[in-house]
Amino acid sequence: MSLAPGAGLADSGAMPIPIIIDGHAIEAPPGASLIQAWISAGLPLTENVGCMGQGVCGACRVLVRREGERIATAALACETRAEAGMQVAFIDHFPARRPHAYDLAAMGDSWTALGQVDAVFPEAKHCRHCGGCDAACPKGIEVQKAVTLAVEGRALAAGALFDHCVMCNLCVAACPEHIAPAHLGQFLRRMANSLTLRPGDLIERIRQIEDGSQAIDLDSPGAAP
Amino acid sequence: MIAWDQALAAPRDPAPPLPSDRDALLRGFHPDHAPGAMERLRVGVSAGQPCPAALADLLQSNALVEDVDIAGRAMREAEVLVLGGGGAGCIAALTAARDGARVLLVTKLRMGDGNTVMAEGGIQAAVGAEDSLQRHYEDTLRAGHFRADKALVAAMVRDGPASIRWLIQQGMGFDLEEGEDRIGGHLLRKKPGGATAARLLSFRDYTGLELMRVIREAVLLTPGITVLERHPVVELLTDPHGRCAGAVLLELGRREIVLARAGAVVLATGGAGRLHLNGFPTSNHYGATADGLVLAYRLGAGLREVESFQYHPTGIAWPPHLAGTLISEAARAAGGLLFNGLGQRFVDELAPRDVVAAAILREIAEGRAAAREGCEGVLLDTPGLEAANPGILAKRLVTLSHLAHRAGFDPAREPFLIRPTLHYQNGGIAIDAEGRTAVPGLFCAGEASGGLHGLNRLMGNALLELVAFGRRAGAAAVEAARGDRPRGVGLTHLAAWERGLVAAGLPLDRRAPMVFPPYGNVDLAAMLRQRVAA
Repeated sequence: MSLAPGAGLADSGAMPIPIIIDGHAIEAPPGASLIQAWISAGLPLTENVGCMGQGVCGACRVLVRREGERIATAALACETRAEAGMQVAFIDHFPARRPHAYDLAAMGDSWTALGQVDAVFPEAKHCRHCGGCDAACPKGIEVQKAVTLAVEGRALAAGALFDHCVMCNLCVAACPEHIAPAHLGQFLRRMANSLTLRPGDLIERIRQIEDGSQAIDLDSPGAAP
Repeated sequence: MIAWDQALAAPRDPAPPLPSDRDALLRGFHPDHAPGAMERLRVGVSAGQPCPAALADLLQSNALVEDVDIAGRAMREAEVLVLGGGGAGCIAALTAARDGARVLLVTKLRMGDGNTVMAEGGIQAAVGAEDSLQRHYEDTLRAGHFRADKALVAAMVRDGPASIRWLIQQGMGFDLEEGEDRIGGHLLRKKPGGATAARLLSFRDYTGLELMRVIREAVLLTPGITVLERHPVVELLTDPHGRCAGAVLLELGRREIVLARAGAVVLATGGAGRLHLNGFPTSNHYGATADGLVLAYRLGAGLREVESFQYHPTGIAWPPHLAGTLISEAARAAGGLLFNGLGQRFVDELAPRDVVAAAILREIAEGRAAAREGCEGVLLDTPGLEAANPGILAKRLVTLSHLAHRAGFDPAREPFLIRPTLHYQNGGIAIDAEGRTAVPGLFCAGEASGGLHGLNRLMGNALLELVAFGRRAGAAAVEAARGDRPRGVGLTHLAAWERGLVAAGLPLDRRAPMVFPPYGNVDLAAMLRQRVAA
């Protein structure tokens, strides 16, 4: 038995699906994701792969053009199933480098926090409203709206729009103004949590641990069968 | 087995399941106990320990490189070298860099492409007024069948609340109870299977994603950390006294060997799901191939409980293109019930994971499973959960709803067909409370390490472990790295290892680490040979 993900698909008896990935004309097992189609064709997989199906790591970015369509759209290869006539190109990742530097620990004064948005991400106010980021996002996030809200100072509302962002950085690649929307989103979310999330039960328990009233008895009766 | 249409039509009886003898259930149906699943290690410091055969083959294999391969190669220098770019590795790197060390973090995929980002359920910390560190400690030991190391468990549990505070300081969010304030409000707490209190803290049902994206951003913005992606480690380096002093890396882009020398090494290479033990599908990421275990063991680090793996009860059984993909325990923690093909409950859904998984495998083995297009499993009753808690699927189980959508059905109307999936390596490299292994200069954190979970891990203790021990190992590595720069660095440990293999009658031509699963169509040994020949 083959242990390859999606290996069972080939046994269904249905016709294989012809697609082209990165110039390789291959036959995908019916139902296979694009990543599964790639490995089932015997092609080597060493990069642009991570969680391999959960759609949560953002590694397997592809451009996909379906038969009869003019425009290619961005997608995640692990979440997209092969369709006859698809043309697919993996979008490689370049080494991570962050030009938008900030230090959360140095943001002691929350009155200055909103001003930091413009200081760290000055490009955001130059948004051309071209919609490229929205078109690029494989998760359907309203990226451009979030950038607009951030510029208006609505930090929490803007950050909330990035709630399920997987940091695939497709919006970063798409933005002609180098706004780096996904990282702007992370900045807003991290700032909000580090400055305003103070759970009372957590704080009380930490106080108890520090004053010694939560000692652990390593050899209590409950620590043995 | 029962056909899918019949299983759907069978009235589901919510009556509690009959109690069953847990020990007999585990012995009879848990994959760790399958006949022939284990063999005894024959070479190395843990010789005699039971180990799954597929893992033993890797542990008892020869190195991919020898002296001639590393001669004259470029050498990178760091004070602390971190192997692995998942949660544990990134947190160790952050901690070490903030303590003033020059850090090199290397990873074979990209930073963040690991199991951490895939964690859905949450992270345990005993913050409830009715809860205590003592209860968390005892719950963890009991769920692990009392095989975990007490001092390690106590250290992890004690670090729990402070770890949550640390994560919030890095910018991570946590769900609060409905209507609670951001300042002074109470955290939303769920009860993990096998625990005695509601102790699971979460962010939606993608806690690991929230954690990983925050930590990755912090690493990228912290001066003093150099990140090398697509650089798998293929061997560790030692000094003439046997101290770990760096690693041999393969730069995949140029297919070139690169060396990294460091005063201390933190191994955070994660688990082994892609070994597909006993033929099971896995919920793990593509790179979970036990590389760190193989390398540390070859250097003399002891292993513990490597015979114990967690099969998560609720992996996707149908459709086949998603087989093995995880459905979070959050669905059961929120009240989701399991039914066999006859519409009967057959296990307490919130029993420890090993018990629930074994019970599902029993239903399959004894013909009470449901079958859909040839895929066998049991029903996770999401329609019943939605009926009892209207709106829960859309609001709190976002990932689950998304998964159902990708599978092509509406979870509010149709149940999932599920069966256990290989999920977590319960044991691993033996460490102390500072993350030290038996090898000087070599530290370990996260899923690669052993001793925290005994023979079965509680939901939410994996994320807690990687935060608590990522920080501990990172700090301890900085201390160990203060001292002379390592000299005479090389592969001196391999001669004794090869002698050991020969003495045990084991082949010398079986090579590891695996780095990529066989279906990745990569012959790493050939790639290395080709490089050396060129």
